[in-house]
Amino acid sequence: MSSTIDGSASAALGLLFAFLSYALIQAESVFYKIPGSYVIDRYIKSHQNDRGRTVLEILLALFAIRILLQVQSRTRSDKGEKDFIHFSEKEVDKLVDEWTPEPLGAPLSPEEQSDLASVCVVSGANGPRPKLANTGKQVLNLASYNFTGLAGNEVIKVRAIETLRKYGVGCCGAPGHYGTTDVHVDLERDIADFLGTETSILNSQGFSTIPSVISAFAKRGDIIVADRGSNFAIQKGLQISRSTVRWFDHNDLKSLEDVLLSVEKDRQRRREPLTRRFIVTEGIFEKDGAIVDLPKLIELKHKYKYRLILDESISFGSVGRTGRGLTELYNIPATQIDMIVGSVANGLNSSGGFCAGSRVIVDHQRCNGTSFVFSAAIPALLAASASEGINILRNTPSILSTLQENVRAIRAVLDRVAAITIPSHAASPIIHIHLHSAATLSAPTSASVKPPDPAIPASRNAPSFDIAGEERLLQDIVDEALAQGVWITRARRLRGQELVEARPSIRLAVTAAMSRKECERAAGVIKAGIVKVLTKRK
Amino acid sequence: MPSPIALTSPPRQDSIFKKRSPSYLTAMRSAQSYLIALSEADARARVRDSASVTSTPALSLSSSATTLSEDTVLNDTPYDNSDGLAYPTVPPTSEHIVSADHLQFGFCPNENYRYKSAHKPGTKLEVHEQDPPYYIFLTTYMSYLLLICMGHIRDFFGKRFYPALFRHLLPFDGYAPLNSDFDSFYTRRFKTRIDDCFSAPVTGVPGRTINLLDRESKDYYHTFSLTGTTTRALNISSYNYLGFAQAQGGCADAVEECLRRYGVSTCGARLEGGTSELHVTGEALVASFLGQEDALISSMGFATNSTIIPALLSRGSLLISDEYNHASIRFGARLSGANVRTFKHNNMKSLESLLREVISQGQPKTHRPWKTILLVVEGLYSMEGTLVDLPTILELKKKYKFNLFVDEAHSIGALGPHGRGVADYFGVNPRSIDILMGTFTKSFGAAGGYVAGSKALIDRLRLRGHGGTYAESIAPPVMVQILASMASIMGVALPTSSAVEVAQQHPGPAHPSQLPAWMDLPPTLRDGSEGRMRLRRLAFNSRYLSRGLAKLGFITFGHTDSPIVPLVLFNLGKMCVFHRMMRARKTPIVVVVVSYPATPLVTSRVRFCVSASHTKEDIDTILRACDEIGDVLDLKLLPGERWPLERIMNNAAELVNTDD
Repeated sequence: MSSTIDGSASAALGLLFAFLSYALIQAESVFYKIPGSYVIDRYIKSHQNDRGRTVLEILLALFAIRILLQVQSRTRSDKGEKDFIHFSEKEVDKLVDEWTPEPLGAPLSPEEQSDLASVCVVSGANGPRPKLANTGKQVLNLASYNFTGLAGNEVIKVRAIETLRKYGVGCCGAPGHYGTTDVHVDLERDIADFLGTETSILNSQGFSTIPSVISAFAKRGDIIVADRGSNFAIQKGLQISRSTVRWFDHNDLKSLEDVLLSVEKDRQRRREPLTRRFIVTEGIFEKDGAIVDLPKLIELKHKYKYRLILDESISFGSVGRTGRGLTELYNIPATQIDMIVGSVANGLNSSGGFCAGSRVIVDHQRCNGTSFVFSAAIPALLAASASEGINILRNTPSILSTLQENVRAIRAVLDRVAAITIPSHAASPIIHIHLHSAATLSAPTSASVKPPDPAIPASRNAPSFDIAGEERLLQDIVDEALAQGVWITRARRLRGQELVEARPSIRLAVTAAMSRKECERAAGVIKAGIVKVLTKRK
Repeated sequence: MPSPIALTSPPRQDSIFKKRSPSYLTAMRSAQSYLIALSEADARARVRDSASVTSTPALSLSSSATTLSEDTVLNDTPYDNSDGLAYPTVPPTSEHIVSADHLQFGFCPNENYRYKSAHKPGTKLEVHEQDPPYYIFLTTYMSYLLLICMGHIRDFFGKRFYPALFRHLLPFDGYAPLNSDFDSFYTRRFKTRIDDCFSAPVTGVPGRTINLLDRESKDYYHTFSLTGTTTRALNISSYNYLGFAQAQGGCADAVEECLRRYGVSTCGARLEGGTSELHVTGEALVASFLGQEDALISSMGFATNSTIIPALLSRGSLLISDEYNHASIRFGARLSGANVRTFKHNNMKSLESLLREVISQGQPKTHRPWKTILLVVEGLYSMEGTLVDLPTILELKKKYKFNLFVDEAHSIGALGPHGRGVADYFGVNPRSIDILMGTFTKSFGAAGGYVAGSKALIDRLRLRGHGGTYAESIAPPVMVQILASMASIMGVALPTSSAVEVAQQHPGPAHPSQLPAWMDLPPTLRDGSEGRMRLRRLAFNSRYLSRGLAKLGFITFGHTDSPIVPLVLFNLGKMCVFHRMMRARKTPIVVVVVSYPATPLVTSRVRFCVSASHTKEDIDTILRACDEIGDVLDLKLLPGERWPLERIMNNAAELVNTDD
């Protein structure tokens, strides 16, 4: 009985095995018919006697699948992230109901209100002797940027009106889309000729130029070495570029060299590939009026093979024999500097900014300079006015010598005031005034002489100031001068948004359009104001 | 490196289809008869008093304007009209007085060609997006593939045979390349090949027509040189929505007077030494134009976003951004340090699910609640022509309590029955939007930008925005162009004693005290009739072009009321051919072509920017050109009913006035 069962079972099994082996042979032949199947076959066979490799490859495959799933979830939402909390719809509704946002703009505090109220409004044209709407009186103007006195120039006005009648006001388009007129091309050529560079590119706002220039070239992984006293626009450019930033002490080229050396050492130690490297600094510093030692800077730049981005927003149109800026002051060819960034608004009393350099540098920005590509071109009449401004500067070198005389006249008075310090260079047309005797909360301790960490924007031993207190005193001085008919201004800062809080100061902008007498009178008024306010405080 | 493969196209190449001169050209009267008609009309206008204005509302005339037409029309050497652009196809009769140069602002007296830009309440805001047949996608990808392969082959051989040309892309003398060959591949191997379509230099006013400075290239568009001649072309490219790009007329006169009084510059930043009384006046007018409490003006449109958004947000805030938001918004968002999340373009479902997620989850890792959530959208998207779904967003705003920032760079002036932007278009209260931002470059023919909102917020932005402290303030002539054009859209009127409240209401006319006392606008600008005419002409032209193109069978994006009409070409190669064929016509037309990276890879497009300065006949010209070129380039891919060109042209008013 059992044997028959056995027999029938073994017969059935035999049949099954026969079928299985047949199926296997069939499958094999089908498999080998698929093109490329021999490769897979060889691959599987190669796993024989190599268990370690099999395990490793299975792990790799699992890892790849995991990564793929992760990528998918990342594009969808944050779900799947480790700290994502799953809520039911009801819970979400409740959370939505509970959430109360902070108001977008809190009302101004009384200090902020008085800060805003202290802004002077010009009635009519601005110039060396404008009428203020606040007081209704005419004042001597040491607050506005009008270095070469081009504001209100009749020749420029005539040229602007001519341009208006041919081009209208707006350009109604980005430079790439029919916004470039021959007037813009002419101004770009005029600026390049004036400075002695190959070519230049125009932006429609001075402040927005340098962030756009920096971010067009410097990308993540590139190295930028910047001055600790750099202006706000440069700070924003460094931030938007996402490059690695190293800082050197304000206007201290010895410190710059140390940083350049340490960067190079770092690179060699880590065996990193060569990346783009830039030095970013200013010609005349907006924050304090110091002037950079350009010949030394260029020597360092060549020695360590860095590209130099020089912000001449203040120095262009205000120093040098004809106002060509720092390169003229030091008699250095502008081609030595890779990128000269300047302000058409400050230097030529129009509007906009420029970057001058070689053709490669400029052409790159025409495709990659964010604020050039995505913004409308500057109105033609403003570009034409700037061209006319360059023309005037070229033909009248006496403007710049008058400006220097005025700077000397004012400095002659202010340098003798004991209660203040002036960090600005003697030739700088912007003059910053710090209160010497103001409460300095902590003086730099001379004990530690370790060089500051280049990765940190603030220098290690930076003194801190009673900012609010100093600002109040300075505003009193400003008000006092205004009452005597001299318009000056505190240097306004974006407190809380700057990388390093600048010391409060009064910023004078000297102009060539005032006579020497007027300058001396204005300086006298400021001096008297300082003395009066500071003695009252005591 | 001159490549033997690259095809060169001379600027004035004959088009490959048979050039049929438009029928109206032959039917047109001679320039002489036009001149006679015009001078008669001028004479009549001088005799008539200002009351006659009401009898001919079509063109909003003024006797002061006749001096302008003398410049252009009674000129000793009349314009060459071989391109059909210099004189109107329908010459003015004695009933009409031409108040503007036809080349800058077209003469279009027919009252049927007007429309009111407004959202029909109750209708849904829908965009019908049509996908082309699959072979279009396939050939588009293949053309990219081909270009990439060719580019790499050329790079490979170029680096070996012409190393000097590649020096700036490789490390040299211890300097890393400014631009690696990988980063610049697209620019070098794609854009340079069609560089004649970009950055064409122009001269004169970017109005209805524009004068191109002809240029040629002997090295396959690596460099260009000017030939010294100019070509006049119909301009459907400039952001001149209301046609205020004019060198003559009331606005330009006001600007000239301003230049004499104020000079060119205000010499400094707003908070230091550069605030003029004009800024104070201008900000008050902008605020009442928009129906907000206060406004802040900046000297550059791009910088308005890039310097104001960082002042609004800080760490712990969240910015929710539409995926197609402009570069300036992204720039500002990056500077602000706030978290940024994006949602699908104009997709309210995607927005709501994102809002639910971010509010319930809170800040990353810590799960603390967000300090603020700011939703940033554009009123009208410049590449898509789509309008924001404002009603739905305002509903979501009530529920989710986020703050709303609407960038009206393109929509302000161009949309709404009163030209006050998207809020006006949808008929919602502008104060339900926290921050309105916009630019003056487009509709107002000026430059610069504004933000408007509550007094407290704007005052805070005056102090915290980067521009107030560091950027130059807006120049007086630009400010006055804004004042004059804005006042002419609003109209200037003294509130009658009984209607003080009415006048205070938005959108009402401007109070005379809101303008500088010296500014003397001509009557048609003052009473707002010309502004209304501009708004209504723009609304008509926008709808006519986008519906006309659809009836011809073209795939367009966006809403029909949008003055931006993107016509999708798909293939990269069709871009430059379309551009060149449009420019080479008897009546040359300049267009803007855009492709990746400004658009998604497969949807390269032509972007038409319609203006109030175009006449109905100008739109006909463009439709005719598209019709002919569309046949050659296989662009008519839209399924559905098609009309022949003649039927579209003859039934324009009907086409525009029918609802969807």
